[in-house]
Amino acid sequence: MALSGATWLLLAHLTTASPVVGAMLAPSAMPTARWTASDQQALGQPPQLQQVQFDAARFDSVTANTLRGLFEDALEMGLPTKPLINRALEGSARRMTGDRIVRVVRELAAALNEARGVMGTGSTTDELVAGAEALRAGYDARTVAAVRATRTPGTAVTALVVLTDLARSGVPTDRAREAVTSIARLPRSDEALLGLQMAVARNAQRGPGMALDALNRYVRGTIPGASGLSAPATTDRKPVRPPDS
Amino acid sequence: MADPIELPFERPSDEAELIARLRVSYRALPTPSPEQIQRCAQAVLATAVPAPVRGVRRRGLRPQWWWGAAAAATLVVTVMRPWRGEETQRNAESAFAVGAAAAQPMGSTRVEGDGEIRFELTLPSTARAVAIVGDFNGWDEKKTPMAKRGGEGTWSVRVPLSPGRYTYAFVVDGREWLVDALAPQVPDAGFGPANAVIVDGGD
Repeated sequence: MALSGATWLLLAHLTTASPVVGAMLAPSAMPTARWTASDQQALGQPPQLQQVQFDAARFDSVTANTLRGLFEDALEMGLPTKPLINRALEGSARRMTGDRIVRVVRELAAALNEARGVMGTGSTTDELVAGAEALRAGYDARTVAAVRATRTPGTAVTALVVLTDLARSGVPTDRAREAVTSIARLPRSDEALLGLQMAVARNAQRGPGMALDALNRYVRGTIPGASGLSAPATTDRKPVRPPDS
Repeated sequence: MADPIELPFERPSDEAELIARLRVSYRALPTPSPEQIQRCAQAVLATAVPAPVRGVRRRGLRPQWWWGAAAAATLVVTVMRPWRGEETQRNAESAFAVGAAAAQPMGSTRVEGDGEIRFELTLPSTARAVAIVGDFNGWDEKKTPMAKRGGEGTWSVRVPLSPGRYTYAFVVDGREWLVDALAPQVPDAGFGPANAVIVDGGD
């Protein structure tokens, strides 16, 4: 029994309007309530669901049924459901409302779809999630695609994660893209990328200007012949202590 | 202009004569009763000694002891401006910028043997229980509790993880969610911040 997301949303509205309908749609009353990863595996569904199990008991019946519809829609679109299920479980653990969980999961599905369009269908699930988060962090599609193109398929996760975190630290997007793509082209560069993230994060606590200074220093020290940008004049620069390297 | 009126007043010849004539006139008066003397004395005293200024005291214009305290407090508030906390903090950190960073929880992740990842978190406050939740344990705070290491406020746990990317966070005392300030973070999608860790990046 497979219902589309729109159908589940309609049922959700009916349940909200009528407790009787809600009781009829309770997990114990629905044949799809015991819909688990193992069931999907037995039915020959894509393998994404094998890695994580959707625990419907952690949600109210309306939310659980709505989420099931979203997962099935994602499967039909060829999107991975593992990050969607994880996001739903995270919302439950944080004691979010059902409406909010459904909204966030739906937004993540749309972001994954957008990331797949940007990075190509050959990207792994982790790359799609990391790309979706980079887009959410404020990078444009061209930047995400450029970072993805620096690595072979399946190996761009670290670069995308570091790119996303640099935006959190206050590094301008153009400088972050330049630094990450430059380092990511180096052989065995994941450790260097994580070192860049750590250096920037440590200095970002003293202001975005210090974060950019740290990024420039790190790039100059990592890439032979890299000049980097000149240190900008910032108002949050502390006068005494130089950036940590 | 009319001429001033001339009053029938006989100027005494000298002061001694005037005093003598006054004494004679006073002796001609009848002796006052004690009530008259008392009433006269009260009238004189009422003129000489001002009565307590009850109306003024009601209006609070008399100096009070707390006026000085209020003035001192006003001076302190005006000079120190405690509502400008960020400015005070900025001045205090101008030499060594570690104050703001020290208040944030910091941790580390490192690969250990047998494909295990050690998560550590150092908390500035005293916590009774810390757990790690994430994609690897279904975000269940009961599945992966962390152990406190000594009295340093550092909590640690080893988690076996297969290669991949995982999102996680820390739960303190079952109610407060924290993230590692130094580890990579993912944008808040509506639930709150979280960290990300990559196992075997496949470089």
